[in-house]
Order: sequence, then structure tokens, then C-alpha cells
Amino acid sequence: MEFTLKFKDLNEKREIPNDDYTIKDLLNELELSAQTVVSKQNGELVIEDTVIQEDDEIQLVQIIYGG
Amino acid sequence: MQCSQCGNSKVIYKREQSGQLLCKDCFIESIEKKAIKTVRKEKLLDKGDKVLVALSGGKDSVTTLEILNSFREMNVIDLCAVTVDEGIANYRQDGVDIAKRHAERLGIEHKVVSLKEDYGITLDEIMQRPNHKGSCTYCGVFRRTIINKAAREMGATKIATGHNLDDEVQGIMMNYLEGNTDNLTKLGAKTESQAEEFTVKIKPLREIPEREIGLYVVAKELEVHFDSCPYAMQSFRGEVSEVINQLAEKHPTIKYSTLRGYDKIKGVLKKEMQKEYAHGRCKRCGEPSANDLCKACSFLEELGV
Ligand code: SF4
Ligand SMILES: [Zn+2]
Ligand SMILES: [Zn+2]
Repeated sequence: MEFTLKFKDLNEKREIPNDDYTIKDLLNELELSAQTVVSKQNGELVIEDTVIQEDDEIQLVQIIYGG
Repeated sequence: MQCSQCGNSKVIYKREQSGQLLCKDCFIESIEKKAIKTVRKEKLLDKGDKVLVALSGGKDSVTTLEILNSFREMNVIDLCAVTVDEGIANYRQDGVDIAKRHAERLGIEHKVVSLKEDYGITLDEIMQRPNHKGSCTYCGVFRRTIINKAAREMGATKIATGHNLDDEVQGIMMNYLEGNTDNLTKLGAKTESQAEEFTVKIKPLREIPEREIGLYVVAKELEVHFDSCPYAMQSFRGEVSEVINQLAEKHPTIKYSTLRGYDKIKGVLKKEMQKEYAHGRCKRCGEPSANDLCKACSFLEELGV
């Protein structure tokens, strides 16, 4: 089971490691704070509690930069 | 999961401080209503104002422009914008281009002022100097001077900046922690100018958290420049911001209460702490200044330009 992650220059396929794998879990893995990014699932804005499904395209947009 | 306002199942935001869930349309509406409420409550606008937006092309200034444009469409105010090009390679140009496109889209008067053209030096060049005082010191002072001047040249009666809730709370805490009571008196929704030469500054977004502004521009598909300045570095502001954000995780209303608390004591602070305005003039450029030279000109003298 895979999904596509788009973040900055990144555009890659990633494994869905377990059931109920949410965007929040993904953010934790990438060491990104939910405070600094917004997430889109298949082009639509969603909250971080959203469960990632097979073949989803998850796009993360960093909206806050330090400094 | 459903939008707390309209029942739409496509929720895009959960407000931590209230538990409220919002769909895209209700979220956008909530941000616009909030900013408009601040404008009304703090009396930021007077009918017939010409408001100059300090437009960097980033999320905060683009949102400010968007909100104020609704007042322009109701014929309450006129709008214009200024963009400062500090001369930061691989960074500023994108913001300048985006600012130009927004001004064109709305059909408003827009001016781009570059440090190079006005002062003969770019921020990049200043940073090559061995004894520089740190990028943000110059950036802030020159930007303020340029925006004040632009306001006079364009006949603006107000200057609007994109300061959000996070900026404002950082400012309150930083100045408090540093014991800088003079700067503490200068925060707030609206600066009451002491000299006629200084145009009144307003902050329509000061009650909106930074993250909500970021989500707003993405939800509204507004073109903005999301990037970090190459000179952005560990600063005291950054450290304070980190602490506040950490506290906010367990105490989601803390930014609001800090702001409210400040607003309550501001009147007393101003009465007790505000320094008398110095009525002098800068010898070099004629801007109002407490000393012989204004801050911008004293930097220019030091830099030998
Ligand atoms: S971070 Fe960059 S743009 Fe911001 S004040 Fe500092 S030098 Fe200027
Ligand atoms: Zn709704
Ligand atoms: Zn001067």
C-alpha cells in the first residue's frame, strides 16, 4: 500500500506502514510541526487527523518559516 | 466530522482554543469577519482614508490587502501599496513579482522602492561589510523609513501592516522580558502618531494567529511568497516565539490572553512610560529624529554611502 508525498521539491511514493496512518503520523515521521504546514489530500485541504488511503496524493505546504 | 457552522463534512480546520470544526467556506468567512471586527472595534479606518499597504508578497501582507480591499469595494477607503526591495539575492524578487501581480489584479497604485536605488547599497552588500550590525537591524530601519516616505509621497492617511497575533504577542513578551518599556508603549492595533510626518499605522490582522493566515491564503488560493529569508537566523524573537508556542500547546488560549492583558494595561503604560516626542530633524534627510541624524542616515554614514 503506497501513497504519494509532495513536499517542496520532494515527489515520492511512500509505504503506508499501518492501518489508521494519519497525516499527523506522517508529519511526526518527517519531524514537521503541524503548526507550520497545511495538508492537502488529493488536492483538497484536510485536517491532520485524516487517515491516509492507498494511492492518495498528500501534499504538504509549509506556511510558516522561522525568522 | 462536520463543520460546526454549516454541517459540511469537508472539515479543513480544527480551532484548538474552542474545539470548533470548520469547512473551507466557513473558515475563510471566519478570518474575514475577525479582521473586519478588529477594524471596527479599534476604529482602524475612517471613511475617505487612503490606506497604504506594506506589501511584501508574503501571506500576512497579501491577506491584509485582501481584507482591506473589501472596504475599498464598499467605497469606504482608497488603497495603495508599497513593496520594499532590500536587495536580497534569490529571495526578494519572487515576493516583489507577486506583490506586483496582486496590485495589478486589484487595479491599485503600487510602488516598488529598492534600497539600491534609494540609498545606493543592497542588503547583500551591507552584509559583506566586516562590522555590520546584523541584517535585520538594517532591514527594519530602512524599511520603516522607506514606507513612511512612500506614505507621504502617495498621500496615504494610514499605513497597514500584516502583523498577526503571533507577531504581536512576541513583541509584547520580548519587550517585557527586555524591560523595554518605551517600545512596549508603541505596540497595539493603531499607533497614535505624535508627529504629523508620521502616518498612523494599523494592524488589521493582530487578532489572527499566524497559522490561520497561512491556511487562509492556501484555502483562498491567493498567490503568496512562502520562503524564508537567507538571513533569518536564531534571534531573540525566535527564541521567545518558541517558548510561547510550546506553552500554547497545553494552553491554547494563551496568545489571546496575553494580547488582551496588554490591551488592558496599554493606556496606563502610555500615560506613565511614553517618552516625550523629540521635535528635531535629521540633518541629512530631514526626517523627524531625536538626534542629529536619523537611524537610517546614521547607518548610511557608518557604511560610508
Ligand atoms: S529576516 Fe530577512 S527580510 Fe526579515 S528583517 Fe531579517 S533580513 Fe530582513
Ligand atoms: Zn461550514
Ligand atoms: Zn536621515
